[in-house]
Amino acid sequence: MLIVDLVQSIVDGLLFGATYALIGIGFTLVFGVMHKINMAYAAASVGGAYAALRLITLIGGPAWASLLIAAAVGGLFGLLIYWLCFRFIPLSNPLATLMSTVGMFLLAEEIIVHTTDGMPQNYPVVVRGILDLGEFMIRGDLVFVFACALLAMVILLYLLYRTKLGMATRAVSQQPIAAQLVGIRLSHVNALTFVVTGMLGGFAGALIGSAVGLLSPLLVVPLTIKGLIVTVIGGLGSIPGAIIAGLLVGMAENVFQYFRGVTERDIYVMLLLFVFLVFRPGGIFSSTVKRD
Amino acid sequence: MLELQNLSKYFGGVRAVDSLSLKIEPGQIFGLIGPNGSGKSTTVNLITGLLGVTNGSIRLSGEEITRLPTHVRLSSGIARTFQNIRLFGQLTVWQNLWVAENSRAQRERTSFLARWLGGESGARARITKALEFSGLSHKANELAANLAFGEQRRLELARAMAAEPKLLLLDEPAAGMNAEEIGALDERIRQIRDSGITVLLIEHHMELIMAIADRIAVLNFGQKIAEGTPAEVQANPAVREAYLGTAETSTRGTA
Repeated sequence: MLIVDLVQSIVDGLLFGATYALIGIGFTLVFGVMHKINMAYAAASVGGAYAALRLITLIGGPAWASLLIAAAVGGLFGLLIYWLCFRFIPLSNPLATLMSTVGMFLLAEEIIVHTTDGMPQNYPVVVRGILDLGEFMIRGDLVFVFACALLAMVILLYLLYRTKLGMATRAVSQQPIAAQLVGIRLSHVNALTFVVTGMLGGFAGALIGSAVGLLSPLLVVPLTIKGLIVTVIGGLGSIPGAIIAGLLVGMAENVFQYFRGVTERDIYVMLLLFVFLVFRPGGIFSSTVKRD
Repeated sequence: MLELQNLSKYFGGVRAVDSLSLKIEPGQIFGLIGPNGSGKSTTVNLITGLLGVTNGSIRLSGEEITRLPTHVRLSSGIARTFQNIRLFGQLTVWQNLWVAENSRAQRERTSFLARWLGGESGARARITKALEFSGLSHKANELAANLAFGEQRRLELARAMAAEPKLLLLDEPAAGMNAEEIGALDERIRQIRDSGITVLLIEHHMELIMAIADRIAVLNFGQKIAEGTPAEVQANPAVREAYLGTAETSTRGTA
């Protein structure tokens, strides 16, 4: 039953794609506010999930608590990255922060490999069970992941569009010079953006861990690449774009996997990136917003 | 109110502002004029802290502010508008003013969280009033980017006023306006002065500046070449030369 399996792949992929959307939002939000790429973002997100795993095995507690711990640690890592890679580095030099975050990416990956001896570790599963719908079935853990990611997005969008803090963040991204002149401290907004995106990332890392059932150091590079792909497809700086692109990449990945197997799928996901770069370089929602 | 002492800004070998000294008295409309590239906008950027000074000092109400970061200067009472409009284009008119309320909270030292999460005391009333003052009440929910040019200028002025400054810097507020709009601007700037705010006005529109400025300084190649009442400045031969251009200056552009 090709068509049934295909639909099944698409649905599973869409649900899991919500985690890619979160990672994409993280990349895109930092870009929107600072016009910088934080290459260490996905590595720190996985790091947050690992730290949560460590803590939860150490002190015990329900599996869902690991998600919240990962978010908290992720926020801390975000602040750390801001301080180490951005705060004291000349932002006018486009390469400086790129290099500092690539360095941080390598460092984070090294720490993860070192502390885990490079071995995958089991991650506590929060929701089990499968919803049987006749020919189709829906994995409970994927629905849970999707719902959690959706909740995180709603909270983020509320913060950005309905609070004054979000308004200030958007003001900085649209017009940083005028933002300073209405008394907004750029360094505060920047740091806060890193904390919020770090929390999203840690949360996403833990969601991925709980859906896959394990965490592996091998997650770092593919997650970085997929986060960047989502960001490009969605359009740099566009949050709705990152959400749609995340779901799209999750779906495409699963469809490619269905047709070509798990070892080949990422090749096609990469090809998808080039298709977008050639035919729609501005992403799905080509942003007309400019700043000077 | 504002005192510049031997203020200089060099970009490499270019002396954009060269040993400029000015004293602006409280309650004045002080005009700063000069040909293109004479250092007017650089001076405003030095006063607001967007550029660092090379030499000299800036004092606001006797207090040294030369090295203070921009957002601190703002809370000490300086606000400005831009020659090329810098609104938050994807925020609504209302939200542009709402964000600007921040500067007030900063001056009143409201705590960080209270400032950003709540702290709405009186803000609604103030914004409503500012919208009425600038004639934008009916556009409150429009995105700033969608406003007509003149409306954008008015919104920028309203945003600067939301900081409740002691000193307002206006960088070519009449640029691109028609005669009717300039008339309204003239009236508005006088109202601002009469409400006790000192105004530093940079303008190319001579009719406007000669009509409303209490005192005028003229810059040319970063140096002050004249200062006085509008009548004195108009009679000054050095000013005529700078504006009409000699063989040397005409290639570098005139107003």
